Amino acid sequence: MPKVIIDGKEFIAKENETVLNVAERNGIYIPRYCYHPALSIAGNCRMCLVEIEKMPKLQIACATTVTDGMVIHTQTEKVKKARQDVLEFLLLNHPLDCPICDQVGECYLQDYYMEYGLKKSRIDLKDKNRKPKRRDIGKHLILDNERCILCTRCVRFCEEVTKTSELFINSRGDHSFIDIKTEEKLDNDYSLNIADICPVGAFTSKDFRFKERVYRLSSTSSICLSCATGCKIKVQHNNGKIYRILPDPNIYTNTWICDNGRMSYKITAGPDRLTKSIIKSEEHHLNKAIIKLFDILKEAKEKNLKIAILLSDYLSIEDNFALYYLGFEILKTDLIYASKEKEQKIEDGILINKDKTPNSNAVSQISKLYGIKKYEDLKDCDLLIGFYDDIEKLNIPKNKSVALSYKADKEYDNLIAIKTYFETEGSFINWQYFLRKTAPSVSAPTDTISVYDLCLKISELFGYYPKEKELNKIFNELKYKTED
Amino acid sequence: MNILLNDNFDLKTYITNGGYNALKKSFTLKPEEIIEEVKKSGLRGRGGAGFPTGLKWSFIPKTKTQKYIVCNSDESEPGTFKDREIIHKNPHSIIEGMIIAGYAIGATKGYFYIRGEFAREARIIEKSIYEAKEAGYLGKNILKSGFDFDITVVRGAGAYICGEETALLESIEGKQGKPRIKPPFPAVKGLYGCPTVINNVETLASVPYIVIYGGENYSKIGVEKSSGTKLFSVSGPVKKPGVYEIPLGLSFKTFFYDWLGGMKEGEELKAVIPGGSSVPVITAEEAMNTKLDYESLQKIGTMLGSGGMIIIPKSQCMVELLYVLARFYHHESCGQCTPCREGSGWIEKTLNKILNYKAKKQDLDLIVDISNNMMGRTICPLADALAMPVISFVQKFREEFESHIEGNCKICGK
Repeated sequence: MPKVIIDGKEFIAKENETVLNVAERNGIYIPRYCYHPALSIAGNCRMCLVEIEKMPKLQIACATTVTDGMVIHTQTEKVKKARQDVLEFLLLNHPLDCPICDQVGECYLQDYYMEYGLKKSRIDLKDKNRKPKRRDIGKHLILDNERCILCTRCVRFCEEVTKTSELFINSRGDHSFIDIKTEEKLDNDYSLNIADICPVGAFTSKDFRFKERVYRLSSTSSICLSCATGCKIKVQHNNGKIYRILPDPNIYTNTWICDNGRMSYKITAGPDRLTKSIIKSEEHHLNKAIIKLFDILKEAKEKNLKIAILLSDYLSIEDNFALYYLGFEILKTDLIYASKEKEQKIEDGILINKDKTPNSNAVSQISKLYGIKKYEDLKDCDLLIGFYDDIEKLNIPKNKSVALSYKADKEYDNLIAIKTYFETEGSFINWQYFLRKTAPSVSAPTDTISVYDLCLKISELFGYYPKEKELNKIFNELKYKTED
Repeated sequence: MNILLNDNFDLKTYITNGGYNALKKSFTLKPEEIIEEVKKSGLRGRGGAGFPTGLKWSFIPKTKTQKYIVCNSDESEPGTFKDREIIHKNPHSIIEGMIIAGYAIGATKGYFYIRGEFAREARIIEKSIYEAKEAGYLGKNILKSGFDFDITVVRGAGAYICGEETALLESIEGKQGKPRIKPPFPAVKGLYGCPTVINNVETLASVPYIVIYGGENYSKIGVEKSSGTKLFSVSGPVKKPGVYEIPLGLSFKTFFYDWLGGMKEGEELKAVIPGGSSVPVITAEEAMNTKLDYESLQKIGTMLGSGGMIIIPKSQCMVELLYVLARFYHHESCGQCTPCREGSGWIEKTLNKILNYKAKKQDLDLIVDISNNMMGRTICPLADALAMPVISFVQKFREEFESHIEGNCKICGK
């Protein structure tokens, strides 16, 4: 294990570790643009220059491997001057766009300028190079070549992560610009990660552009429910509105997230969001809706009608178990169904799972534990309670259903407006058997309710008061892993 | 060592003059013995950097992996045209040198990377390779030695930067010519990730001589640390411009008066760029007191470089000349590293203003400052190649630049 001295302190490095990594691991931050931990080393931005004793020139920390006894300085006047100079070069032809640039608040140019630059521009405005602006480069992205600092993170991302290689550097010298190889668009499933890794405002997300300043956003850690991979995400929101989703890089599941998952927040505030429940085709406030639903169930129970309950791979463990409890303990029905086991694998070699539901690993375990029937066995029933997406797939007469839904749908007589998992907690087991929880980042519309609370309220109306312990016992019976 | 023997481009003539005898001798030696001879000869890379050739060869690991030898014939440095002359007059010496180098380092495959503009030269080399193959000097089991070697000609596409050895490798691999970060050096991870030696045309052409006459005899030519002969391609208003092979250590004065015949009538010597446009300029006085070898030129703050000597007369405006150089380096910057990409364009723009009497007083210090900020902070030395002329031009001919700022240049009269 090589020992190195950085800024006067001794550290033990790993074999073949770079100066930048050793420093970062020990809390010494070295500024960088082109370096990204998940991409190959390009060494082109020259921002991470450091002084290494016995080497005549400054060296780039991102590409220099440590050797035993190396003495590194990251804060000398020589290093600071080099950073200032590199920054001056980077800003030389950079447009004065900041007031209208989306990157403000998370822009490396601005951040480092405040730390190292603070120098007046020495070039006349009219001498700045002009490059293409506002290029519609793909489904989700806008490219501003003038703002680009040519760090090639985006090029390397498309080469190394998605392996689609759409981008390249066109031309040479200070006329170089990021360009797309074919006439086609930059349209891979992970394109929005490019907006994240772009250290400046060159790549911006069409979805997020001009909606909100990033420094006004708060972040909530949660998980993505778009497929069984269950990536960790950061949900960014302000004033009760979600603006974007970013990946929450971790060693277990994901460094990136897919574009589809990134757009999944749209269910919270889309035009078709169901904000009030509908019972017998009439819109009701929450309390009234619960009582109306209770009346329907009570009548059905008294008449000995066949009531079926669907568990759902889309719903959390808590919600599924509450549904099971409602069916088995309260409504005393044995017509409880769940989907059959799904094949799970990363189908694109990156993150997207073949299983497009977030919780089938938990629901299939619940099914086994409680001997629950499969959807295919559902032949006949008089009344059915289930999650909207499952009912849609099952071909059940819609007037017989009570659908738990985020989405408005006029074809249904009964729809209960439920909270999304951006608005309520829920536990899920991903394809690797990690148990993770969503966290509410925004508050739900007033007249919506979580499935768990709904089941609880109905039980209470039937005169049962299940203890939390009773509903949570399921966690003792499930197989799962935690991250630590 | 007669690199420029006349009519040697023909295989028959080459063989009559003792061609391919060095190769035959090489096969009687062990590869290590050849490397040892080259080390003894003191031969240094003739492309510009002057790195000891034998040492470079000895860095190649002794493993059985695929190795490559690449001949760098991307001669693009303004003022340099010596390699072209060797290709014209003695192409087989390069090919022979390559085969010997391949045998010495254990490479079975050679690439002849030739500048895109050298269309005629590429044809010459291709023809020579064909001749050598027909005669059994290339291909399988060369001269029944059991050694296989083949050469492929790769033509560049006109980028100066592809003369930088790692950019050259990228270019052979079909990528954009952008220098790689070193380490790893090509000797460890070069072409297609395999150990690779890249040598200049002139370096390789010197190898057969060293093998035939021995390293020690070669080292007797020239001076201590600069042994052997070196080609100088001389341009500018001298009586006899052209390519000359001189023993290293010759005094500039002798070379200038006895070989080049001095300046043309009516011209007076002002300055010399001794080793290609990227090395610092020296004044006539400095030039007259120096010798032409690696150390002497280094002592006065310049470099031997590629030997592309540019003679500058008093009638030439230095601002104009520097502007031409800056325009070249700006155009040829690959754009990878920030300081070079942005700095080269900035210098050109500022010099343009100075040249056209539009500059402010501080612009002169600005270009020096930009140059200093570019120096030594990039992956390859292209930034330095612009910075060094800028700094030396302004330092040594400041009054000419000032006259352009004040608006009364008497030389270019613009």
